[in-house]
Parts: sequence; C-alpha cells; structure tokens
Amino acid sequence: MTTDTPRLRPPHHRVDPRAVRWWTTRSLAVTVVLTAIPVVPALIWEPVRFWFLVAAAVIVVPGLVITLVMPRWRYRVHRWEVTDTAVYASSGWFWQEWRVAPMSRIQTVDTARGPLQRAFGLSSVTVTTASAAGPIEIAGLDHALATRVADQLTETTQAVPGDAT
Amino acid sequence: MSTDQRPPTGPADRPADRPSGDWQGLSPLSVWANTAAGALFIVPAAVVGTVVLVLLDLAWWAAAPLPGALALIAGLTVLDMVFLRAVSYRVTGERMEMRSGVLSKAYRSVPRERVRSVDVAAPIYARPFGLCVVTVGTGEQVDAGSDQVKLQYVTAAQGERLRRELLYRGAPAAAEGAEGAPDAEGLELARLDPRWFAYAPATTATLGIGIGALAALIGANAQSEGWIYRWVSEWAGLPSTAEIGAFVMGRLLVVLPVSLLVLLLSGTAVLLAVAVETWWNYRLVREADGTVVMRRGLLNSQSLTVEGRRLNGVTLHEPLVLRSVRGADVRAVATGLGAADDEKTQAKSRLSPPMPRARARELAADLMRTPESPLDMPLSAHPRAALRRRLVRAGWAALGGFAVAGALAWLHSLAAAAWWETAHEIEERLNPLPVATHLVEATPTWGWWLLGAAFAAVAFWYAVGSHRALGHGLHPRYLVVRRGMAVRDTVTLERAAVIGWRITRTPFQRRAGLAHVSATTASGAGMYTASDVGLSQGLAWADMAVPELLSQFLERDDRSPDRPGPAA
Repeated sequence: MTTDTPRLRPPHHRVDPRAVRWWTTRSLAVTVVLTAIPVVPALIWEPVRFWFLVAAAVIVVPGLVITLVMPRWRYRVHRWEVTDTAVYASSGWFWQEWRVAPMSRIQTVDTARGPLQRAFGLSSVTVTTASAAGPIEIAGLDHALATRVADQLTETTQAVPGDAT
Repeated sequence: MSTDQRPPTGPADRPADRPSGDWQGLSPLSVWANTAAGALFIVPAAVVGTVVLVLLDLAWWAAAPLPGALALIAGLTVLDMVFLRAVSYRVTGERMEMRSGVLSKAYRSVPRERVRSVDVAAPIYARPFGLCVVTVGTGEQVDAGSDQVKLQYVTAAQGERLRRELLYRGAPAAAEGAEGAPDAEGLELARLDPRWFAYAPATTATLGIGIGALAALIGANAQSEGWIYRWVSEWAGLPSTAEIGAFVMGRLLVVLPVSLLVLLLSGTAVLLAVAVETWWNYRLVREADGTVVMRRGLLNSQSLTVEGRRLNGVTLHEPLVLRSVRGADVRAVATGLGAADDEKTQAKSRLSPPMPRARARELAADLMRTPESPLDMPLSAHPRAALRRRLVRAGWAALGGFAVAGALAWLHSLAAAAWWETAHEIEERLNPLPVATHLVEATPTWGWWLLGAAFAAVAFWYAVGSHRALGHGLHPRYLVVRRGMAVRDTVTLERAAVIGWRITRTPFQRRAGLAHVSATTASGAGMYTASDVGLSQGLAWADMAVPELLSQFLERDDRSPDRPGPAA
C-alpha cells in the first residue's frame, strides 16, 4: 500500500461561477476602505499630502492586484463533494487547504449568507465537528443548492449513529 | 448545548426527572473558608494602614482601618451566607443539576454522559475546614469566561462522592490488558519519587527567573532613587559604587561567571520551590472502572479525574533543556480537558512532573494500555525538502542577524565620548553596579560580528535539529506524530478518535512536494499535525490510519486514472 504514491484528487464540484464576482466585489470593497484611510487626511492636510498619497499607493497597488488575481485563482481551487460517508472540500488560493470529515463525526450543518453573498444569490454551508480545528466551510454555492446540500447532510448525519466525538 | 436556562423553581418542587438524588447544598463551612481567605488579604492591609497612619501622626484616623476591615469582612460573610443558601445541586441517574443565584436565578443541567472530567481542588485556606472546589468538565469547547459547573465549596467527602458518581458508568472497563491486580483502590501507575525534583530546574527559564529577580531588585532601587542601595551599603559598610565598578571591570573574567552562577542558583531555588508545591504527594491511579485519577500538591492539593474512554492518547513533552538531561513529562490527550487557549490546555493536561525519560515512556505506555508502546514505534523521517525549507529559513535569520550586528558595529564606531558619558550617567542612576554600558563600550568591533556569527551557528543548528525531530508513525491502535526543537512533543492519538483530516500547503510547500497533514480530533489541542511531510507519504499515512475515509478521495499512480471530470 505504501509502494504506490497516492495523490489527492480534487473534489468533484466547483462552486458557483458567480462566486468570482462575489470575491471580486468583496476584495474591491476592502481595498477601497483601506485606501480611503490615508487618502482622507491627504485631502485635508496639505503639508503631508505627499507622504499620505505614497501610503495610499502602497495599499492600493497590491490591493488591486489581489482583486484581479485572487477570485479567479480561488475559483480554480475551491471545490466540494459530499459522498455517502464523508464531506470533502478544498479552499484557499495562496495558502490552500483540503478538509475531510466523516459523516459519523458531523455535529451541526448550517447555511449562512451575508448581505453581499445574498446580492449574488449565493450561500455558504458550514459543517461543524467536535474538533477545535474549526468548521469546514463551503462558500459561494447557489442558494437553492446550498439549502439542498445542507438538508441532505442533516438527514445523512442523523441516520449515522455515534456521539460525534 | 447541554446547559439550559429554565425559569427558577423553588427547591421544594422537583422537575420530572427521576429523583434518585436529593438536592444538596454547599457546605455551610464554605462561608467561613471565604471569610478566612478574605481576611488573609484584608487584615494585613488594615494593619499596614494603621501603622502608616500612626507613623504619620494621624492618631485619630489610625483607629479607622481595623474596625473598618472587620465590618467589611462581616458584611461579606453575611452576603456569602445569603448566596450559599441559594446554591444547591443534585446528581440523578441521568443528569447533574445545579441551582444558584439570589436576584437572578440560574438553573443548569448537564447530562452525566457528557461529563468528561472532574477536577477537585483544595486551596490552602479551604483545607483547615476540610473543604474542596469541584469543577465539572464537559466536552464543550470552553470559551474564555464561560461558566463551567463549579461548586465552591463542598466537604471533602462530598467532593470524593461527586468524583466517583459523576464518572461512574456502571460496567467497569477493566481487564483490558491491565497488568497487576487492580484492587478496590485501583492500580497505581506512578507515585512521586523525590529524586525527580532534580529535573525541576532544567528549563530555559532558570536563568530568566534569576535575571527577573535581579531586575526586580534593580527596579525597586531605581524607584527609591537609589535610597535602598545607599542604606544597604552604609549598613554593611560597602565601598562606593564607583570603587565596586572599577573592581568589577578589573576582574571581568571572575565576575561574569560568578554572577551567572548566582542567577542560576536563585532561579533553581524558585523553580524547586514551585515544583515541590505543585507535585508533592503526586500519585496517578487507574481505578477499577477505568478512570484515571491524579492527585498532587503540597499547600494547594489538587485532584484531576479523566474518564478512561476519554483519554485518547498521551504527549511525551520534552523541552530542550529537559531533553538534554534525558528528562520528559507526560501529558494527556483527552476530551473535556480543553481550555480557552493552548497554553492553558497544556497546563491542565499535565499528568506527571518532569521525570527520567525512560520512566515517562513507561508511564505513557501504561496509560495507553497497549502491550507494545506506540512510543517505541519506529517513526518515518520527513523528506530532505523539509530540511531544505528549514535551512533556507535559518539562512534568512542568519542574514538578518549579520545585518543587525553590522548596524550595531557601525553605531558603535559613530558613538562619541560625550555620548558614552550620558549613557554611563543614566545607568548610574538606575543601577547600583553600573557595568553594563562600560562593558558595551569596551566591546571591540569584531565582537559584534562574533555575536552575529554565533547567532547564525545557532540558527543552522536549530534548523537541523528541528528537521531531525520530525516524524510520523502508526501503531495498530494509535497514530504518532513528533515535532519540535525548542519543545519536542511526541503525540499519540487513538486512531478511533480521529474525526477528520486537514491538509494545508503554502506555495513553497507545493513546489517542494510537501504538506502539513493534520488529524483533527475532539481531544486535547483539537488537531495534531505531521509537519512538512511528503504529500504522498503523508496521504498514505493518513489513509492507513483511518481506513475507508480518505481512500475515496485519493488516486494512485499504479491504477489507470479514472478521474471523473469536474462537474460544475
């Protein structure tokens, strides 16, 4: 069994393509807010205007680069899959993460949608286990699909015995 | 989840639960224990206040502090009595219930099957009254400031009964390869050997604590603007600071080692005292029903009980200095021992004082109840790419060290005589033995570079050591991971306690074919990681550790890849 070299195959399903727009908007909003912090005093305060504008440039350039690159990169990485026995999800872009949790150890399944996700018709499914390692989050699913997945997960986990620890 | 709030009900009517246990109150003596604890702080403060007022010639005011303190203590005692009446608890067949509160009443109920650990502590001021504090741990992730079920105080007999009742699950889980005959008292796994105290000072903190004590002295002296030191030197007939300074500078080769020795000795004394207070009477027992009980403490005696089923593994904890004298201690990997942060979890889960490594491994094997100890398993090493990552990091650290050394050497060459004068003056005001700035002034330029080189050497030594520490392995029942150079932790985790996997990779790891492969669990720290393992090596390990979970997501090179295309 150790003679061969196993590889992780990516989970079957991509997230909804609208997630790219959602991530872009989110990143853009953060960039705009962070850039505004030095820009506002630069407008008001003449003597140090140059230095505040330099600070703004230092923030805005990487911010825009991230806004351009991150969403597409994320869309390539973020994937999910639910089998009869486990939940499998991958996420991240620069730092990537793969999570697996067996059905028998799932404690709660939630769907959540922030105002921004709602604007794009998206939802997140959060799968919690008893571990302090944090929940598994599948972000950027179509709202109807997310509800279906959550219902299906809830049903399956209730059918599987075990005290989830 | 397991606690809920219900509208308050009087102690007379009973919830529909089977009333097999009666409602009990806290011990009436706990009021007096609290009074004693309060008095320990309040009375000395009042006495000091009186003395100060008399010295200041305010005779009228001097009569106030003591009666005031007594009134305060009496008031607190009365309040305590009121609160004490309101608290009651009971243990029924299924749950433990507790009521408390006078103005805002609270009712808490914990299913007994959710109780994972029971902590019985007897602080020094409670002991003369025969009282103890009982803390009941459930499997919940405990947030900072959340209220666990805590009974403060009950009698020692009540505490002992609670400890036994709450964790007793009926059928004893004995005869699982337990050696020796477990009598009614249980099987003793370890008992304090006073020679183990020799390991107590073997920490990197020893020198630091000595320096801390010295710094505190210097700080107090600076606060009094040198008054303390002048008084001491007059009283002892010491020569002036300038003379002492000259003496020290003349004999640096003697003075430096001697002062280091003094620091070490004072640190050792402090650590020994702490170890004796913490670990006196240490005893670790497995009881007939499988629960593991630890008792320890000289002034504040503590007992910790962990249900056997919840003890999912152990950690062999070897900090650098302790490791160099072949010592180690044993910690539990158990559900219900989680605390708000990692450090607290670590402190709470200690099951032994520092002891000889061989003894610690033996104790760990006894705790895991396996004929062949998982700690004796040969561990697979991690790839050379992991070493390369660490060497690159050490290289960056060394470069940084040299940059700082160069900058210091440059500043040193710039500093003028006037500048040094000011530095000496400042130090003389703060430090009765002003030698530090003289020492820095006397350092030759190459000295700074030497420091930089020494730092680089340490960085590379650390990199090689931390690569050699990496390892992972499999035992029929446990998985084993090891990591750490400053603190080496070898963790065993029951394979049945793994509740998922987490694999993370940075871009650097992806290029080097490495990954962090972590088993997530409800126990202990929540996640145990094989760091910088080769990706396929780590996946094969995880797949074997928990069959049927990961295999469905793996593809192997020896099979034709029937990769199902990504379905959008």
